[in-house]
Amino acid sequence: MSNKAFLLGDRAVYIAFIVIVLGLPLLIDDVFWLNRVARYLVFGMLGIAMALSWGYAGILNLGQGLFFGVGAYMVAMSLKLQSWTSMQQGSDTPVPDFMLWNAQPGAPTDLCCIVPGSWLWIPFQAQWFGISMAVALPVVLALIIGATIFRLRVSGVYVAIITLALVLLTRLIFIDAQPITNGFNGLTDLGWLTVGGIEFDPLMVETYYIVAVSVCIVLLLTRWLVSTRAGLILQSTRDDANRARYLGYDVASYQIFFFTVSAAIAGFAGLLFVIVSEFATPTYFDIAFSISMVVWAAVGGRSSLIGAAIGAILINTIEATVSESEMFQQAWRLIIGVLFVLIVLYMPRGLAGLARDLLARLVALGRGKEADSAKASRNPAE
Amino acid sequence: MFETLFIGLSLTSVLLLIALGLSITYGAMGVINMAHGELVMIGAYTAVLSGIYLGFNIFAAIPLAFLTAALLGLLIERVVIRRLYGRIIDTLLATWGVAIILQQLIRLEFGMTFFGIRIQGLGPGLQQMRVPSYMMQPYEFAGIMIQPYRTFIIVVTILLTVLTWFLMYRTSIGVQIRAIMRNPQMAAACGIDVRRVSAMTFAYGSGLAGIAGVLLAGFRTVMPEMGANVVVDGFLVVVVGGVGSLLGTVLSAGLLGQINGIVSVVYNDIIARAVVFAVVIGIILWRPNGLFSFKSR
Repeated sequence: MSNKAFLLGDRAVYIAFIVIVLGLPLLIDDVFWLNRVARYLVFGMLGIAMALSWGYAGILNLGQGLFFGVGAYMVAMSLKLQSWTSMQQGSDTPVPDFMLWNAQPGAPTDLCCIVPGSWLWIPFQAQWFGISMAVALPVVLALIIGATIFRLRVSGVYVAIITLALVLLTRLIFIDAQPITNGFNGLTDLGWLTVGGIEFDPLMVETYYIVAVSVCIVLLLTRWLVSTRAGLILQSTRDDANRARYLGYDVASYQIFFFTVSAAIAGFAGLLFVIVSEFATPTYFDIAFSISMVVWAAVGGRSSLIGAAIGAILINTIEATVSESEMFQQAWRLIIGVLFVLIVLYMPRGLAGLARDLLARLVALGRGKEADSAKASRNPAE
Repeated sequence: MFETLFIGLSLTSVLLLIALGLSITYGAMGVINMAHGELVMIGAYTAVLSGIYLGFNIFAAIPLAFLTAALLGLLIERVVIRRLYGRIIDTLLATWGVAIILQQLIRLEFGMTFFGIRIQGLGPGLQQMRVPSYMMQPYEFAGIMIQPYRTFIIVVTILLTVLTWFLMYRTSIGVQIRAIMRNPQMAAACGIDVRRVSAMTFAYGSGLAGIAGVLLAGFRTVMPEMGANVVVDGFLVVVVGGVGSLLGTVLSAGLLGQINGIVSVVYNDIIARAVVFAVVIGIILWRPNGLFSFKSR
């Protein structure tokens, strides 16, 4: 009986979420705020990816920023070549301005050989290439990483430590490849996404809709994915990998598949984030950012896709509203720390768990005294 | 050549100092303490503050930092970690929260910032610990330049490692700790007060972090986020060395420290760290239990 109520409640939350996300431009006139909300929706997408890998697959990926960052850099490279600064470097083909600053005197102003390794940028002159690589490269990386980790049956904490080390490794590689990635400064002054002759200014309602619709689609797709047979088997591998193995399932394949899906979502989020924020920096590879994603998912509810998304959006929105003064921003971080400890200790299922418990209580109330008396009569028998 | 090895050795000793405490807490109690770096940071701030207000030099600051960090560790154990034994991933997450809290407390000067009170030596800025000048003057020994401060770090590290070894293998509390490491239920059944011993172990590991903080403060700037960078390195050392193996921790600190030292001389610091990460990932994949681990559990 109560399953029905949960299903209804669940559906209601999804519908409300989608309606609010898509209807928000009618409420908010300020394009600046709309742009901010778009960023938080992207973080919501990261929350979904985290809930998928952590909550459903039991894989605590502390290096999710790796896929987000790679996705962001891929599309940022294309947009960098489209920006007007890249066109003005005295060459027929676009060349990023920072490469000129790093070039040896007398080096030809062309992507082929202005700095060592700059030829890697050549295919990015086509915007579709950058955009497809933003998802394709994280997928390939996740396949390689996932296949190595899960075929060797590495699990639990070691997955967390390996992914943590990997994201730090990637960060160092991106910083060290300064001539082609602009090091610490990252890629700034990007051009706008241009599709079919329309330029998507980040401060446009249309750009907001690109993000909003993407988030909704990703949310519904992952929700469908975890409800499939494969999703159920995945959850069984999370609960007891050995038992799933005895039942004849190839545990590693399921883990690799969902790890990769999660990475693809993170890469896609990176793509969207660059479109709305117009920069890509190595801070995406910081540990703090990757762990923030875990915090968002934990606050929202690690085993609920929409809970994790709402957690991410909520935390970031509150942070934005209190960050008007430097001091409150610091205090807010303190509150997040306290909140996080409390949630891990007392509320491991996060906001989503809280909502479910409330619903259960409501259902119990709605059933009235009949159920109570039934329970009372059952108890003495025990 | 020798100078490269010496640099590697001093990097090793810093790594070992940080990893030593972690090795005990992680090995004995299965707690991934992400706040360990913040305990290092607290140790460094203890040195800075005691230098400003009490006029302590580095020698006096070391025991004080040990006490401060150990008491703080005890508090963290009582309030947070005690509820999480056996939930290793959750300890990682909860202590990450603790780490943020500690960082913010230092940044906000324990909340005094809100009342407009500034405390010298705290706050978001950079701090410096004063090291006696005779420790900074390099001298020549057997044809190579040696910095006294680096030598001091190496000596303190060796002393602490020996002390820890003594505690673990030559005292009755060490026997109890090692029993808990192998099998907590069985240890409890044999009459060991697991909770009390665990709390003391955690406090001792935290105290070591405090000392590491004082020594780090001598050659790095002291700032609220200094701990976040060192905790990951410490963990890599512990995991590579093998959980709960003191010898493994020492050797893996040596291995990673020397790789870091040699590669950073040949190429640069960034590549050196990248190589260390790559080696660590390789080792974890190859031997998930670390290089030196006993078979148990």
